[in-house]
Amino acid sequence: MKSLNRRQFIGSLGAVGAFHMLSKKSARAAEEKIRVGIMGLGGRGRFLTERFVQRNDVEITYLCDVDNKRYAYGREIVAEYQDKQPRVTQDFRDMLNDPEVDVVVNATPVHWHALGTIMACQAGKDVYVEKPLSVNPWEGLKMVEAARKYKRVVQVGCQTRSAPYVQKAVDYIRNGNLGDIHIASVYQIVDWKNNIHSTQVEPVPDGLDYEIWCGPAPKLPYRPGHWFRDQWDFNVGSIGGDIFHQVDLTRFLLNVDFPKTATSTGGVFYFSDGREIPDTISTHFEYDKLICKIEAAIWAANFKKIPTAVRDSDQFPDWEFTSTKIELYGTKGFLRLGRQGGGWQAFNEHGDIVAQEYGRQADNIHIANFLDCVRSRALPNADVEEGRRSDLLLHLSNLSARIGNKKLEYNSEGNNILNVKEANQYLRRQDRAPWKIPEQV
Amino acid sequence: MKHIICTALLVLCSLLASAQWLEITDVSISSTTTEQGGPVYAISYVLQGDDLSVDHPAYVFIRYSVDKGNSWHLVDKDFITGEGIGIIERPGKKEMLLWGSGETGIENPEICVRGIQMARVPAGRFIMRSFPAGGKDPSKTERPDTNLPEFYMAINETTISMYADFLNETGKSGGGWNDRMSNEMRCGIIRTGDMGDYTYSVIEGRDNYPVSYVSWYDAIHFLQWCGLTLPTEAMFEKAFVGGLYLGGDATESTPNEMPERKFPWGNEDPGQGGIFRCNFTGEEDGYAGLAPVGTFSTFSSPYGINDLAGNVSEWTRDWYTTMYHIGLDGFRMVRGGSWLADSFACDAISGATQFPIKESSIMGFRCAKLK
Repeated sequence: MKSLNRRQFIGSLGAVGAFHMLSKKSARAAEEKIRVGIMGLGGRGRFLTERFVQRNDVEITYLCDVDNKRYAYGREIVAEYQDKQPRVTQDFRDMLNDPEVDVVVNATPVHWHALGTIMACQAGKDVYVEKPLSVNPWEGLKMVEAARKYKRVVQVGCQTRSAPYVQKAVDYIRNGNLGDIHIASVYQIVDWKNNIHSTQVEPVPDGLDYEIWCGPAPKLPYRPGHWFRDQWDFNVGSIGGDIFHQVDLTRFLLNVDFPKTATSTGGVFYFSDGREIPDTISTHFEYDKLICKIEAAIWAANFKKIPTAVRDSDQFPDWEFTSTKIELYGTKGFLRLGRQGGGWQAFNEHGDIVAQEYGRQADNIHIANFLDCVRSRALPNADVEEGRRSDLLLHLSNLSARIGNKKLEYNSEGNNILNVKEANQYLRRQDRAPWKIPEQV
Repeated sequence: MKHIICTALLVLCSLLASAQWLEITDVSISSTTTEQGGPVYAISYVLQGDDLSVDHPAYVFIRYSVDKGNSWHLVDKDFITGEGIGIIERPGKKEMLLWGSGETGIENPEICVRGIQMARVPAGRFIMRSFPAGGKDPSKTERPDTNLPEFYMAINETTISMYADFLNETGKSGGGWNDRMSNEMRCGIIRTGDMGDYTYSVIEGRDNYPVSYVSWYDAIHFLQWCGLTLPTEAMFEKAFVGGLYLGGDATESTPNEMPERKFPWGNEDPGQGGIFRCNFTGEEDGYAGLAPVGTFSTFSSPYGINDLAGNVSEWTRDWYTTMYHIGLDGFRMVRGGSWLADSFACDAISGATQFPIKESSIMGFRCAKLK
């Protein structure tokens, strides 16, 4: 099998499609272990490492992080479950070059989700990529293109899609039990007032490859912490990064895709730490006889996310003060649902509970579905196209606020805004060389 | 005041030096009565250790039981008069009185005296190069104070044997132990017996290895058992690199020639020149896994503290909040490298954020004490 060395690769980044020649795999035999490389050893990467390595049908063969001081914490997890230690690298291209990697788990910061996934597809790897999917709509389109062109399985980490209780809610709704649903409210009302970003520029810490960390985003002066999370070129923001789950579930529950319009009112109302992306936003998405509303704030007292103990037991959350819920208003009933194991309850027109399901978290089911699809080559529960469409709602929500709370008419065919030309400049970022997402994946 | 000597000598526990408890012999306790205050217990013991000094003193604590060993409690220093509890700078016979037993309910106690060798870190400034909480706590935008008061830190990481003693006192119902601790290569504590009457033993040869698979809470419970605490990140880093003056700012003695050193011994890589200075990943250093504490004592910190760079990463008292994800609130910081860390990740600023309930083969802890 041919492989590129690193210098050759950097020289050819303008045509990253070269990677597609590296590996062409068909469906794997059931008895073969799926060999997994982890890209990103932060909190989520370590969590996923532990979930994957616990499976009998998985071997972790590579660990990758731009911070080379994180290796030990990945190795330690793997060592609990397998004898063979994985290789480690700061440069994920080493991992993509390795024929002993079938699957890449992309648990990087958001600004690396798109290019990391595209390059993995080109290298013949299937991908489990964390949510949110992208920094802008164009990235999402290219991710889908890459998955389809190279016939890769790409699952997005919106795990609640795989939860049995959610499927039961889908069935309940699609059987018409709520009547016609004309309003859906999606909430992300949380109290993150302590999450003040440090704006102080600091020296790049020893061991961090900051060039790769910045990747396609601008190489700004280094700041510790999560300052970059609320900058347009790096992320979809603290709200978008978390509400992705509810937005995606709402699309799943209602079986809707592209809105006709999106209108936001929002801005940075609370924080004064240099963030660009709103900390407060209300968005109306207009569908055919349906208004889907986002109500989001990250400074609100009283509200809490669903406690872990509730997620994994036969309990419902304290709905009134639950941060991350979905409410569906129908002509025959009302349903509220909590993500990640929160369960759901449906009420009739008299206010009686007529149906309900307790929930459970579904990370393991979601991973199992992904690995099943790696073997069968079927589309996974949260295929990249589904993730892309959910992601788009976050982008439109932010974009409306970014250009002065204007109503946007999005054209899904051309990935452009029809009525506000100035908005189109934000549908794609100018990537930083040599980490450009290629026009032709 | 008239004292009546009680003739009964109560059950005692002394500990020979092993597995990092200091050697303590000739423990005795006898009671006298007073006219007004009830019985007083005279406690004495002999603390061994020719290497004890002001800079490397012992920390001694006493635990007692009044129900024939079913439950044990830490003797409160406030009820002790005399030298023999807390920081002890010289070896030899120690004598003290335990007052107030009429009020505290300490009657006819069995006692157990244990000691840990500490290093003194004098008060003063140091250069902290790491970010607070790894730079990850948005609410911590300021660096911690780098002018620290005097404190003490255990010369060695807490050992398996020490932790097993703790379990045998406190873990009859299983708390503080998990089944991974029975892994003979990565820890080595076996649990036997039934719920409510568990006992713990150390796999032969493992006594002197650092305990691992301990959560932050396990570490805290052990330290409360001793009357000690975890170091903060700042304390860990100062102990690692040394203050601007190793004798302390007050004396300005022994200026630190390398206040920004990478490693406890200086700037040489842990394996540079084929000399292995700490236990990091791989077998070249002589250890594929954990090493007995103090194995690399030639390469200790400026204060003579061992294994800060490698062997096990160590829990600290510092934590940071993130409201971003449920269940992720209250990460704790671990510092230092480990037997699975690359050599460059055994430096003064390396660390990681971990769930406080995390039990890991590469994470342990050591004791600290504020003056």
